[in-house]
Amino acid sequence: MFSLMANCCSWLKRWREPARKVTLVMVGLDNAGKTAAVRGIQGENPQDLAPTVGFSKVDLKQGKFEVTIFDLGGGKRIRDIWKNYYSESHGVVFVVDSSDVQRIQETRETMAQVLQHPRIAGKPVLVLANKQDLEGALAEADIIENLSLEKLVNENKCLCQIEPCSAILGCGKKVDKSIKKGLSWLLSNIAKDYEAIAERVQKDTAEQRALEEQDKKERAERVRRIREERWENGNALKSVRFVSCCLHHVCVF
Amino acid sequence: MEGLLSILRRLKQPPECEVRLLLLGLDNAGKTTLLKQLAAEDISHITPTQGFNIKSVQSSGFKLNVWDIGGQRKIRPYWRNYFENTDVLIYVIDSSDRKRFEETSLELAELLEEEKLAAVPLLVFANKQDLMTASPASELAESLNLHTIRDRMWQVQACSALTAEGVQDGMTWVCRNIKFRKR
Ligand SMILES: Nc1nc2c(ncn2[C@@H]2O[C@H](COP(=O)(O)OP(=O)(O)OP(=O)(O)O)[C@@H](O)[C@H]2O)c(=O)[nH]1
Ligand SMILES: [Mg+2]
Repeated sequence: MFSLMANCCSWLKRWREPARKVTLVMVGLDNAGKTAAVRGIQGENPQDLAPTVGFSKVDLKQGKFEVTIFDLGGGKRIRDIWKNYYSESHGVVFVVDSSDVQRIQETRETMAQVLQHPRIAGKPVLVLANKQDLEGALAEADIIENLSLEKLVNENKCLCQIEPCSAILGCGKKVDKSIKKGLSWLLSNIAKDYEAIAERVQKDTAEQRALEEQDKKERAERVRRIREERWENGNALKSVRFVSCCLHHVCVF
Repeated sequence: MEGLLSILRRLKQPPECEVRLLLLGLDNAGKTTLLKQLAAEDISHITPTQGFNIKSVQSSGFKLNVWDIGGQRKIRPYWRNYFENTDVLIYVIDSSDRKRFEETSLELAELLEEEKLAAVPLLVFANKQDLMTASPASELAESLNLHTIRDRMWQVQACSALTAEGVQDGMTWVCRNIKFRKR
């Protein structure tokens, strides 16, 4: 009887809970299939894509979660921006091109850098072993080994799940079931530890925003000074012209 | 010569819709050269707006409004007339002029705060790549504070308005990422 009541209470409590906001950051090397994956999840055609050299996001509702996924560019020359999105992320989706055997070492190093980051370590990570439809694609076990995944996640205390998948298989309802399954895994593990992760996210994000605000102020001040100088120089030039003009007149006379 | 815009017209969906673009940047960023690449056949139809230095180009289903940002504080409120119904904001920077990155980032930040431009996708043309002193996209992104943007998608496109390299790729991104307004 008591347990029934307790169950009801907890059910009622959950029912009255506001929707939980969850932010996920999606990273991985260029050409891994990140944009294809988010497009598929979002219900858009995952074909005909160009490399992302920037940022886009999708919002979706999954049960009681309001999920935002950041899709970031993975190219060498843009990868450095990833760190700016870590503080506000509750979890990570790391996409791997399983068919690109040549770049598996680069993938390993890149993944290590992400998971070791102080604003990521300890958060749950979903690895999508993408492009399984291609011939020669590494299987789950090979990827785990090549990426030293077990060691990596243990060292950084990240819960981890790997899902072999194919992002171009379909979109919306027809999106690869493994992708859906992986997302559900990620969300349920974030939910289990939601208070703690959310608190960390809030604290880290506030710190980052404060720094950004400070930086913005300093920038504005520097630009103001440069403009002032430019204006003064402009005026100085004008007065030189004025003087030389006067001198000219004097000479003429 | 066929301008890029007429080539791109085939890309946009639906083709009969008019796409409105703002093409902005500091003086010397390369806007006029870019404009020439985009609308080769229409270059004679550029109409400078009396006194405000705003150019409008209309070409095969595209409407481009172009002006220098920076300076001219007094006429700023007037710009707002051109913000309405913008599909994509194109911001041009001189990627070789590191000294002005902070200045251009500040101007951009002010634009992005405009209510009428809220959530409008942003394409940054990292122009003058032919000069070999260009910074990588990640450095540009951080110098321009793009990494603090959360309310819209953005993309950096390296290009040279002079050689036209990268210009078409940028415009393809524009066409693919227009969310069509309901009319
Ligand atoms: N065969 C196959 N191709 C895929 C799959 N997923 C993505 N692709 C293709 O791989 C290429 C790159 O995909 P994107 O989604 O743009 O890759 P990305 O990770 O977003 O790359 P960046 O934006 O450069 O970081 C595209 O041509 C996709 O069509 C897949 O599961 N199988
Ligand atoms: Mg992408």
